[in-house]
Amino acid sequence: MTLGALYFYACAALALAGALSVVIAKSPIRGAMGLLLLILSIAGLFLALHAQFLAAIQLIVYAGAIVVLFLFVIMLLGPSASTPHDRRGIFARTLGGGLFGLLGLGSIWAVVRASTGHMSMRLPEPAYGGIDAFGSVLFADALVPFELSSALLMVAVVGALAVARGRQGLASPSKGESDIIRESREEGP
Amino acid sequence: MFSLFPVNDYALIAVILGMPLLGAFVNGIWGKRLGDAAVKLMALTAMAVSFLAALVAFVMLADAVGAEKNEHVKLTWMAWEWMHTSGGYGGSSIPIDVKFSIDALSGVMMLIITGVGFLIHLYASSYMEGDPGYARFFAYLNLFVFSMLVLVLADNLPLLFVGWEGVGLCSYLLIGFWYENAANAAAGKKAFIANRIGDFGLLCGMFLLAHYTDSLDWNGIAHGARNLILPGEAFRVYVWPLGNGQYTGLLHFLQPAHPLTVSAATAVGLALLLGCTGKSAQIPLYVWLPDAMAGPTPVSALIHAATMVTAGIYLICRLSFVFVLSPFVMMVIAIVGASTALLAATIAVVQNDIKKVLAYSTVSQLGFMFLGVGVGAFTAGFFHVFTHAFFKACLFLGAGSVIHAMHARIHDDVDAQDIRKMGGLRKWLPWTHITFAAATAAIIGLPFTSGFFSKDEILYRAFVDHTVSPVTAAHSFVPPGWIGPLLFWIAVLAATLTSFYMCRVYILTFWGDFKGWTVGRPSLLATQEAEHGGHDDHGHHHDDLTTPGYPPHESAWQMTVPLMVLGLFSLFAGFLNPGFHLLKPENKPMDHWLEPVFKEASEHAVLFGHGNDEAWAEHMEWPLAACGFLAFAIGSALAYYVYVRKNGEPTKRLAEAAPGLYQLVLDKWRVDELYDATVLAAVDSLADTSAVVDRTIVDGILARLTSMIVAASGTVLRALQTGVVQVYAATMVVGIAFIAWFFAAPHASYTLTDSGNDDYVVTAAPGVGYGYRWDSDGDGTPDKPSFGADSTLKLHLAPGKDVTVNLEVKNAFGLVKKAAIHVARPNAPVSQL
Amino acid sequence: MIPAESYVVLSALLFVIGGIGFLVRRNVLVTLMSIEIMLNAANLALVAFNRVRFDPSAGQAFQGPSHTGQLFAFFIIGAEAAEVAVGLAIVLSLYRLRQTVRSDEADLLRN
Repeated sequence: MTLGALYFYACAALALAGALSVVIAKSPIRGAMGLLLLILSIAGLFLALHAQFLAAIQLIVYAGAIVVLFLFVIMLLGPSASTPHDRRGIFARTLGGGLFGLLGLGSIWAVVRASTGHMSMRLPEPAYGGIDAFGSVLFADALVPFELSSALLMVAVVGALAVARGRQGLASPSKGESDIIRESREEGP
Repeated sequence: MFSLFPVNDYALIAVILGMPLLGAFVNGIWGKRLGDAAVKLMALTAMAVSFLAALVAFVMLADAVGAEKNEHVKLTWMAWEWMHTSGGYGGSSIPIDVKFSIDALSGVMMLIITGVGFLIHLYASSYMEGDPGYARFFAYLNLFVFSMLVLVLADNLPLLFVGWEGVGLCSYLLIGFWYENAANAAAGKKAFIANRIGDFGLLCGMFLLAHYTDSLDWNGIAHGARNLILPGEAFRVYVWPLGNGQYTGLLHFLQPAHPLTVSAATAVGLALLLGCTGKSAQIPLYVWLPDAMAGPTPVSALIHAATMVTAGIYLICRLSFVFVLSPFVMMVIAIVGASTALLAATIAVVQNDIKKVLAYSTVSQLGFMFLGVGVGAFTAGFFHVFTHAFFKACLFLGAGSVIHAMHARIHDDVDAQDIRKMGGLRKWLPWTHITFAAATAAIIGLPFTSGFFSKDEILYRAFVDHTVSPVTAAHSFVPPGWIGPLLFWIAVLAATLTSFYMCRVYILTFWGDFKGWTVGRPSLLATQEAEHGGHDDHGHHHDDLTTPGYPPHESAWQMTVPLMVLGLFSLFAGFLNPGFHLLKPENKPMDHWLEPVFKEASEHAVLFGHGNDEAWAEHMEWPLAACGFLAFAIGSALAYYVYVRKNGEPTKRLAEAAPGLYQLVLDKWRVDELYDATVLAAVDSLADTSAVVDRTIVDGILARLTSMIVAASGTVLRALQTGVVQVYAATMVVGIAFIAWFFAAPHASYTLTDSGNDDYVVTAAPGVGYGYRWDSDGDGTPDKPSFGADSTLKLHLAPGKDVTVNLEVKNAFGLVKKAAIHVARPNAPVSQL
Repeated sequence: MIPAESYVVLSALLFVIGGIGFLVRRNVLVTLMSIEIMLNAANLALVAFNRVRFDPSAGQAFQGPSHTGQLFAFFIIGAEAAEVAVGLAIVLSLYRLRQTVRSDEADLLRN
């Protein structure tokens, strides 16, 4: 087994472990840590695929911002962040999950069966995937999406502010709101 | 004169058509207000002007024909362009214009319609006197004449159909004229419905003609007529399987070994024949004509004797060049005519109502006309139309005069027309008697009357004629040689019966003792006492009902003058076309006059029997004429013997000896009852079934069940609306599963196209990454072992062969699906009809 | 040399895990994180295919190998970030309303 293969299998194993722990873990903190592990493995795989700039971006944005955001919210919620494991709605969940799993595994099997061998992986030129090349192509061909994505981020910021603000701009709900909700709940649909 | 009315813009036709229409319009809308005298004046003037214009037109036509040396000349007038229709064989659009034309054939018809029509209008002005619907009657009668003229003068089939429908409508209105009596209304309905069935046939024929000949007017159809008998599958009509379809799968047992086709000419001929049997009261659609006697007698005379019922013969004559293209259809026409003649004659022998006898006599005579045109003797058949108009109208009007006289004494409708209650009327109705006798002489074929010449010509031609297809190369049906003599003997038998029953009617009505002295009178005693010496509605004095009262009286001059005119014509009109080669052919003016019209038809298609042996035909002339004479002689001698010498005893004894048979014949062979039990019962049960289906299936199942299903499915689907996002996501996954299955599984669907010349192309449906493997002989081993990219397969199949082709489809995921395609080539069609 | 198919299979597996996590877990924070997993799997597949095919396409202003897959992944990361921000804001609103982060408690649209 060559070094490259070993590296790939290691990163793959870590990625799978991280993903599984997100899905299986009881406490969301564990899940967030699993997510972090996944991100790091994916970044490693990007490096193996000659996408250096993207690996860096992945680390900075995903690991550095998104996972951190998740942790903030989990810590804000405190003990209410974790939910009890009971059997409510087990039928829909099992059906959905099982069917999806079957579908996915079936399609993986079909693709593997139909694959005709090795896709040619000839070496690209050294500038491929580097920040120079990436930047050039980003501002030459993908300028419009780039500008639009900045607008998107602006909208997201405004939206997040608006959604998270609440009615009176307080961090915690007033008595009136939750009372109304509880009453409507008791009356039934 | 031609400068005023040029030959191709003959606007005088507008006067001929317009006057009756004007009369109908004025009488219909303002008749009641104008009063009876004005109505009479309007109607009679309209008819007289129309007749005079028709005479002028006829003279001008004769002029033009003479000038053109006996070519087929037409005086045409285009009123306006009506519409265009597509669907012709060449794909072009067919114009349908309101265009009228007078040629030799329609010129004669036009004269008959307007001339005899005028006489009957004159008669009716006195017959219908005092009837509250006087104005309505003349409005309908004029409208009828207008429609009949449209029918006869039309230059194309759709316009003829307009007239055809119009006369059907007027017939309905006039039969049910006294509609307060439900039986009259029912008779009118029956006439209309029977006509309608025939109209369906006419429409189908029209569509077929438009398709094959690419035209709908007479010139165009003649031009394109040879398309009707071209060989080749495109020109034949598939009778079974319908439209050359193929019955596969479950219905495979219906597929015949060889498809059954008929030539387009046969299909057109049979369809048009259905229309003609409806209008001209032949088997199977004659049942309305006897019932139509419920209408006033002038109506019976005009519509059901002289004009409307001849529309079928007119159509056959008009499209003679189409009918001769199919010898099979000609044979069918002749057989239908002969059998109807015989059937109606047998029924007429036992009827006791004078109008019913004449009605069946009309059906029988129409059968003779059909026989004439069916064997290719178009001129003879048409000449019989001509003479029949005179003598039958005369007979009906005479019967009307008799009924008028009887009705004055016997107020009961049924008894007034019963010949058993008549007798010896010649003493009191001299003019009626003489004209009735003349017309009877004509119909039974007394030598040198008009009926003699026309009927004997038909009998002669039935025996000697032999119709073949005008295109000798076509493998078409050849009528067997024994048809001619068979039809001849049937017709001779019918002629014998005709002369028997007509003499019977004549003798019982006008000779002997009057038997109606006491009929109905004792039953009137009670009403007369109730009236306490009031007047009866004829203004006669109050009489003693226990004794025979005043005798019947002759009718007014308005009724007797038309009788006289018609009687004269029925005696002497025969000399317009005397038969027999002893009087040279140039002395047959009617034949000569109509020759250009029928030349196309008869030239190649109507030959003499025994291999077109003209000498044999001439040789047979005298024996056959003798047979015809014998028919007349035997029939009338028998009638004389039975009714004058033996006073009706032999027939009474015969009726007593075979009461069942007598009742059967009296009941018109129970054909009406048969129709009731079969066709009408089928329609009734269809209606009942529809009612049941509507109630249970449509209301019960479709309406209620679907609402239940909707409610139930609503309840079920609501269970999915839990409000939880993940449940919705799970539903989406189920949907994705279906889509994924659809894309991941290979689909082996195909289309099969017939590219002609016994070639088939099977095209498999494309898909992502599909590879195909064909097995074109169905033996299980594919043609090529590997999956290729060719998605079409060409096959060549001989007729009668079938093969099962296997198709295997493999998609990008390596999954394979197999399909079996069954391809069959039917046998080539065979038919000689 | 690891063939590109391995990367694709790995990406598919990660996607399946993420999808199952989204459908089965009721904690909305965990479902959000499962979405992250799915998007990462997609990024991986994109970059893997770009590594196989980087011929310059016609009409490209940049003279060099094609970076389309990586660009796509780049924008996904960007949109991803926006989505997480808003998503977490929604989670906070839900918590404020119902004092819970369980998805089956957010069923006001029931029936």
